[in-house]
Amino acid sequence: MLRALTATATLICAGGAWAHPEIEAALSRLNADIAARPTAAALYLERGELYARHDDAVAAEANYLRAAELAPELPRLNIARGALELAGGRPAEARRLLDPVLARTPQDIEARVLRARALAALKEPAAAVTDFNTALAATATPSPDLYLERAALLPPAAALLSIDEGIARLGPTLALQLRALALEESLGRIDAAARRITQVAAQSERKESWLKRRGDLFTRAGRFREARTSYLEALSRIADLPDWLRASPEVKQLANELHRLSNS
Amino acid sequence: MPLRNFLIGFFLSALSALHAATTIIRGPYLQTATPTSMVVRWRTDTTEASVVSYGLERNQLTSTARAEGIGAEHIVLVADLKPNTRYFYSVGATAVPPPAADKKAPAEDAPGRAAINSFTTPPVAGPAQPTRIWVLGDPGTKNATQTAVRDAYYKYTGTRATDLWLLLGDNAYPDGTDTDYQKAIFEIYPKTLATSPVWPALGNHDQKSANSGTQSGVYYDIFTLPTRGEAGGLMTGTEAYYAFDYANIHFICLDSQDSDRTPTGAMAQWLKADLAATTRDWIIAYFHHPTYTKGTHDSDKDTDSGGRMNDMRTNLLPILEQGGVDLVLTGHSHVYERSWLMDGHYGKSTTFDAAAHVKQKSNGRSDGEGVYRKPRARTPRNGEINVVTGSAGHAGSATKPPALNHPAFFIALNEPGSSVIDVDGLKLDLVFLNDKGEKRDWFSIVKE
Repeated sequence: MLRALTATATLICAGGAWAHPEIEAALSRLNADIAARPTAAALYLERGELYARHDDAVAAEANYLRAAELAPELPRLNIARGALELAGGRPAEARRLLDPVLARTPQDIEARVLRARALAALKEPAAAVTDFNTALAATATPSPDLYLERAALLPPAAALLSIDEGIARLGPTLALQLRALALEESLGRIDAAARRITQVAAQSERKESWLKRRGDLFTRAGRFREARTSYLEALSRIADLPDWLRASPEVKQLANELHRLSNS
Repeated sequence: MPLRNFLIGFFLSALSALHAATTIIRGPYLQTATPTSMVVRWRTDTTEASVVSYGLERNQLTSTARAEGIGAEHIVLVADLKPNTRYFYSVGATAVPPPAADKKAPAEDAPGRAAINSFTTPPVAGPAQPTRIWVLGDPGTKNATQTAVRDAYYKYTGTRATDLWLLLGDNAYPDGTDTDYQKAIFEIYPKTLATSPVWPALGNHDQKSANSGTQSGVYYDIFTLPTRGEAGGLMTGTEAYYAFDYANIHFICLDSQDSDRTPTGAMAQWLKADLAATTRDWIIAYFHHPTYTKGTHDSDKDTDSGGRMNDMRTNLLPILEQGGVDLVLTGHSHVYERSWLMDGHYGKSTTFDAAAHVKQKSNGRSDGEGVYRKPRARTPRNGEINVVTGSAGHAGSATKPPALNHPAFFIALNEPGSSVIDVDGLKLDLVFLNDKGEKRDWFSIVKE
């Protein structure tokens, strides 16, 4: 109730307090349009989204509420409101707004991802994963972040499968490979983790730190001979670097550490 | 026989008329340049095949590259090119026929389909080569200021080719729609688009019509950017952030708007690994939201721009500095602000301590207090210059001028303009050129 009252007061006092010219210009235009057409719900939605983009959640909500009064079924309105609620740390409210959107338009990817995040915040991982699955299947070029978000909701073995699905679609993207190799190690699959490090190293012009990482992996697994081989290989890669890079304190420090590790 | 001749003539005339009716309404423009390949894109008003005719001589476009199918949005990968080589090219639905002996090739600026442009492939990554880079932050206002800034650069660079150019986000106001891009980019910079590869970053206005999570929307439709490390650096799996090499420079583009900016997020993990992987002499990072500003935005305000400036400063800048970044280019704030050679400042402006954070307190000018000097051996935290150059389309308000008082900056100007970077071996020069063509700031970094 207090939020609604604040929002209404904000709507009445709507005005810009930014020194940013294009925000003021956009706001001025919308204010003028709303003055000319005060019952045009889409304009309130647009003004609310402008406020939301510039982090004035109270003014954004006020405009969304006005739009909802004028046209409760306005397309995108509940998605915008759901996004605002989620950003404000109110996932249950977000879900309440997004459920009917997805009931009407189940193919809406933006709403689907927002609800997946709301469900994750509400500690409903299975439902969140279902939404992520649907969103990923419907997205032509998903970002690695979506795969990582979904994997975070799954137990290690299923998470690994989920990440590998991403790698199959996007290629051996670094962030996915890193998550996969951490999962492989947590599952005790040392050889598989080592293979992933080798794949990442193959992409990299400088391989020494990846080879050290592989050595560290073997060390943690008690496979000291293989660890030493990796450390020595890293040292050999350092020897191949151009003089100016090899002479850097960072590389010298790494080389010293590798010498120590390979002799221990 | 006369009827057959008539029909053939009619058919050829009709075909010719059909071709003549097709107009290129966007481009050509160059994307994802590598030493051996170039993506050439253009748009036509009707659907047709996509063919790039190219060659080493203007009147010998004897090679062709094609895309499958027909469409109005043409994206052609021209592969198997020689590094550091100038190619002439023309785009259309069919290959350019061999020229008649007595016929001159069309001029570079000839309108429509017959135009022949040229590009030069990047050199092999590693060895140094003089490189000119044009940097435009927040250019896309479509107004007289934008064109004045453009013309000032054209006059400044003269016949010196632009090897590549960077767009720091908010490339097309107000909403980054296809129409906004048409008016603010494609109709403003046609000459540069056709001859120099453009490398963009996503801004908040671009994101109104784009989504990094699904890599969809106008920005992602318009640009073809490397996702698999095609142009250098490690693969990202997304066009939202990426890296590329040019000669002895490694460029890193981050998405400060719409990707995970946490220190454990995919972008940060990639950045760490990418920095550790490069052997280039120079590292230049660019993204939209500034790490420090007191211009038309305030990096001290937690809520300004959704905390993105804070995120970039506290989460991503430490990684960049640890990786030995030399130059950080940003926009968003419609001013020009340039720091000292500095390191390690991740707090608000009140915590800035020159004694602790400034590595070299000089103006960085060879004709002033001396250039900035860094060791060539890449050492973490040797200092970088942070440049906010977000006024290529408009500066801050004259009636409510921005404070411009962040202590990290040596100079701050509320003026429209763009930045020009020249890298020659182990020397990097940056000039801020205002809309009147005046050099309003300049500095150099020398590695030794």
